Amino acid sequence: MRDGEARENRRPSDDPMRRPRAIHGRAPDVFRLGAWVPMRQFGEDEEVDFAIVGTGAGGGTLACKLAEAGFSVVAFDAGPYWRPLEDFASDETAQSKLYWTDERIVDGENPLQLGSNNSGKSVGGSTVHFAMVSLRFRPEWFKSRTLLGYGADWPLDWREMWTYYEEVEQALKIAGPITYPWGPKRPRYPYRAHELNAAAKVLARGAEALGISWTETPLATISAPRGASPPCVYRGFCTLGCSTNAKQSVLITWLPRALHAGAEIRDLAMVGQIETNGADRVTGVHYHRDCEWHFQRAKNVVVAGYAIETPRLLLMSATSRFPDGLANSSGLVGKNLMVQGNQAVWGIMDDEIRSYKGPPSLAITEHWNYEDKGKDFHGGYAYMSQGPLPVLWARTLAGSRGLWGEALLNEMQRYNHSVGLKVVSEYMPQERNRVTLTDEKDQYGLPIPRVTYSWCDNDKRMNRHALAFMRRALEAAGAREIWDQEDDTCHLNGTARMGFDPRTSVVDGDCRSWDIPNLWICDGSVFPTVGGVNPSLTIQAIACRTADRIKALAARGDLEVRSKDRQLV
Amino acid sequence: MSREVVTSGKQIGEDQVGLGIIAAMAALALAAVLARKQKYRRLAQSSGTVTAARRLNRAAGTLAFSVLFDSAIEHYRGSFHNKAMYTPLVVSSLALAVSAHGVNDERSEMHRLRDAIYVAAAVIGAIGTGFHIYNVAKGPGGINWQSVFYGAPLGAPAAIALSGLLGAAAERIRDSDPHRPRVFGLPAGRLAAAIASLGLLGTTGEASLLHFRGAFHNPFMFLPVTLPPVSAALLAETALGKQHRSRWFTRWWLRLTTAMGFVGVCFHAYGVHRNMGGWRNWRQNVLNGPPLPAPPSFAGLALAGLAALTLVEDRPDA
Ligand SMILES: Cc1cc2nc3c(=O)[nH]c(=O)nc-3n(C[C@H](O)[C@H](O)[C@H](O)COP(=O)(O)OP(=O)(O)OC[C@H]3O[C@@H](n4cnc5c(N)ncnc54)[C@H](O)[C@@H]3O)c2cc1C
Ligand code: SF4
Repeated sequence: MRDGEARENRRPSDDPMRRPRAIHGRAPDVFRLGAWVPMRQFGEDEEVDFAIVGTGAGGGTLACKLAEAGFSVVAFDAGPYWRPLEDFASDETAQSKLYWTDERIVDGENPLQLGSNNSGKSVGGSTVHFAMVSLRFRPEWFKSRTLLGYGADWPLDWREMWTYYEEVEQALKIAGPITYPWGPKRPRYPYRAHELNAAAKVLARGAEALGISWTETPLATISAPRGASPPCVYRGFCTLGCSTNAKQSVLITWLPRALHAGAEIRDLAMVGQIETNGADRVTGVHYHRDCEWHFQRAKNVVVAGYAIETPRLLLMSATSRFPDGLANSSGLVGKNLMVQGNQAVWGIMDDEIRSYKGPPSLAITEHWNYEDKGKDFHGGYAYMSQGPLPVLWARTLAGSRGLWGEALLNEMQRYNHSVGLKVVSEYMPQERNRVTLTDEKDQYGLPIPRVTYSWCDNDKRMNRHALAFMRRALEAAGAREIWDQEDDTCHLNGTARMGFDPRTSVVDGDCRSWDIPNLWICDGSVFPTVGGVNPSLTIQAIACRTADRIKALAARGDLEVRSKDRQLV
Repeated sequence: MSREVVTSGKQIGEDQVGLGIIAAMAALALAAVLARKQKYRRLAQSSGTVTAARRLNRAAGTLAFSVLFDSAIEHYRGSFHNKAMYTPLVVSSLALAVSAHGVNDERSEMHRLRDAIYVAAAVIGAIGTGFHIYNVAKGPGGINWQSVFYGAPLGAPAAIALSGLLGAAAERIRDSDPHRPRVFGLPAGRLAAAIASLGLLGTTGEASLLHFRGAFHNPFMFLPVTLPPVSAALLAETALGKQHRSRWFTRWWLRLTTAMGFVGVCFHAYGVHRNMGGWRNWRQNVLNGPPLPAPPSFAGLALAGLAALTLVEDRPDA
């Protein structure tokens, strides 16, 4: 207890949700109580090479890589600059401060539940409270239209992506299995897999019984010390912010590197508009910080606000020359929003499980991502073991199972025996699933986005397949009283897809806008298809690739103009 | 502005280099101290087998010490959920006690009770190894990396078996002809060298597995997987090779391995510090972190190797 008190006393008196922390030439040292690291700062009149909107998986990674390549970088985030060791409480309710809960309007046939399970508002983005599952795409997915007959092809080659995946896995010291059962050979994960908890062993037993492969989930939390990060303590608070720094989030990996390389990070800085000039180039960003609007000049702007805020910002930045919003000559900005299925089956085991011990998804099977036979749908899915904390579990029982009052109380008594399997599945891109602007205004006076979502028949068939299969697996592992949770979805992708053609995509393979050569989009929005795995490793790999491409383009003098444009001039 | 590190320092910072240098100096100093004592005893009792036996008692005791504290910590962590988990504590305590008795016993004859306890330790250690193999194999997917990383360690009960074996050998050496010491009908020195060699190999296997599990995140973690196998090879040569007057290189290498075994405790203490909360949170981190009592099992085996080496060097026929 003494430790707790000591830490309490040293808690900084500042409130990171009200006052920016990254000011006066310094930023919080996320590894040390009350300490700071020096931070380079740029004047607003100084035309920086890159203004990056968002510091999550896409923006944070890119900020690091660009700063390390010698570019001047200012990265903006609407969220606070947390000190994980001090600011994160072991309290599910208090930690909802990490979620993006700004007002949004949802509709469609299957309106999304936005907030905790979709997006974060923090320096470090959603990775501050993500579940750390770090998976590679199946190679064929990069050409799913050509090879598998659905969705759209990516303008990226899987072999090239394989090298960027490796770079990210090394940067995050991913802890994963010695051999991965699916797909082409991959290099050894830098750290060894974690010990399985009882919930993960249930998944393993079910998979063994059904004769399919399973493995330890590659996770972005370390199984041995790394620098100032201690190994995971298996307390299972991961999706509420890791207070030990075992989790290798963007906040504690790429961003300290970015600061070291001379990038500036502006916390509590909400970008409301990207400015363009008469030559159809972006010139900087308008942002709200400390109760005022400011303008930062920049040679390039990168939008990395995730798949709702990114199209929103592009749409909000419309001008008379770009009446439909920036980068939107294809009309596709905001369209093809893809979430992923996150349905679950739950049951009761005779043995105590205590599924909340440790990271939530310690075991996985990607069987149905790599097996194409026996499916009545396009796409694939993975499923993983689960570890909901008590408030979330009570909410799931009340919301998805309809328990209340004494029934809910009685079911909560069996919390330690509950066990479940949860899917991450590949929904199809559909233009009708989209982000648009409404007339209502948020706290910054900016138009509130409307998020429209409906499943297509393929999505529904996949849901049914996944639920039925997971039910068999859970039964085979010895669970009883099994029930289906049919409503959950997770992750946000699409809305600014990359492609080969300006008419059918928003950016090219370098994440560069087809319409405006010094405007870039680098986050989950650029996915043409979403695959059956969690997206953050792919987002970070794309960011690393984009940085390399920008370096190469700059070296050729092609950063100001597209080479094609230059030929025209 | 406080700059307190809540977790740990840098991976290979100055502190670590400093630690490495201190550790290396401590190892050399320890080796030198061991060397001095060795010489003194050799002069005093150059003709007796009792010295060799006492040294083997010391080696058996060091191993028993390592097992006692290691199994106490690990089985406490496992909440002694199976009553059999008390067994290694009892057995290694007894082995430690009789080893202490043996080290102080200068008589040249076997002690019945000591011997009985050593033999029992050897048998129970072997049974325990079987238990641990069963535990590893019964998890989902049978024997795989997950189960060998996180299942019951095979090396721990094997170490108590080795302690018993070395002790039993020590008792038999006391009983045998000082000019032609025999154990189980075999040359005592060579047999002890062979046991120590195999033990070192097994212990290296255990350290390799666990340090691999830790991704060799600290370069010093390579030490216990590189020094001891050389010791094992040198001891194998001692057991099987021709008779030399002096194997000075083997002796120094074994001393180094002994020192490493003791200094390893300091490295593991540093490893404990790198867990969340460091030593302030010792009640949790001593259980989570690298096992403090594990490295001395290398010392125990290297000491047995030294005892064997003296026997072989002094008596052509041992
Ligand atoms: C609960 C949860 C669990 C998850 N688990 C996993 C997992 O296990 N594995 C996995 O791969 N993925 C997981 N994800 C998804 C993953 O976190 C996201 O896919 C990824 O972080 C998206 O990266 P991004 O860069 O596109 O956006 P984000 O990481 O969300 O970053 C966007 C940032 O931009 C900021 N921003 C937005 N608009 C503006 C603006 N106008 N001005 C200033 N700043 C702005 C936001 O504050 C935010 O910080 C999880 C997500 C959640 C919510
Ligand atoms: S279980 Fe591990 S990764 Fe998750 S919050 Fe705890 S220490 Fe962090």
